Amino acid sequence: MNFLNNKVFFWLLLAIPAVAMSVAMGNGAELERLMHVTGEFSARLMILALLLSPFKLIFNNARWVNWLLRRRRAIGVAAFFYALVHTILYVVDMGTLQAILSELGLLGIWTGWVALIIFIPLAITSNNTMVRVLKSNWKTLQRLVYVAAVLTLVHWVFVHNNTGPALVHFVPLALAEAYRIYHWFSTRRIKAIDV
Amino acid sequence: MKAIYKILWPLAVMAISQTSYATGMMTCDSGDRSTWKTQDELRATVIEKGWEVRRVKVDGGCYELYGTNPDGKRVEAYFDPITLEMLLVSQRGKILYKKELK
Repeated sequence: MNFLNNKVFFWLLLAIPAVAMSVAMGNGAELERLMHVTGEFSARLMILALLLSPFKLIFNNARWVNWLLRRRRAIGVAAFFYALVHTILYVVDMGTLQAILSELGLLGIWTGWVALIIFIPLAITSNNTMVRVLKSNWKTLQRLVYVAAVLTLVHWVFVHNNTGPALVHFVPLALAEAYRIYHWFSTRRIKAIDV
Repeated sequence: MKAIYKILWPLAVMAISQTSYATGMMTCDSGDRSTWKTQDELRATVIEKGWEVRRVKVDGGCYELYGTNPDGKRVEAYFDPITLEMLLVSQRGKILYKKELK
């Protein structure tokens, strides 16, 4: 039981897609396929991290939600790592700086870059020292993830050339957040509690 | 801190409003597969014109090709499987070419 609660175990769980991908790469998987998988997992983990706040509300402080909330930092940092690998694979796939720059103006592409750029300070500040140093600014900074989420959605829809898969992932998040907003406005709140 | 939001949020909102233009799907009224040209013929035809082909699949009764066009752009292109006519080209969701319907 203790092992399942162990933080290392949780990191191993988060690493499973990465391990599967490494095996696939060894077996000669297409770069584009791996790009797709890393992008998907990055988005999924980000969405999971975001869902936890409305879930705490919706499921009334359920134990499993709090269990995940204690691991939210790991989820977020893992999302960043998958996004980083995703970007590296893209760069390798495009091959030349010129090819990358020529696409940079496309909506489907720059949204991906900006989302990654937002992820970087978020990942760097995902530690106790930065929480202490930044104080209330830490939370303000981390809230940029919402902008990154919107940009990620647009990026996904355009590069995949399809709204389906992206919406399947983001609509639940939108609904959960909508509930949270509704809840905020429909209850009298004496003290702002930020999760 | 607040200044960043003032720049990023409008960008995000503008970006998301573009998703309604995102799908570049195409369908073909192509009938029996025995009348179709082969994928290899398609590859040969486009490679001759300067394309690089990564992958070809069937989508909506058309051939969907993933590759690089002669301009060096990474695109998805739809071709009629019988005539091998180019029907649609899209680059990361942005439509570069669409055949006019008569």
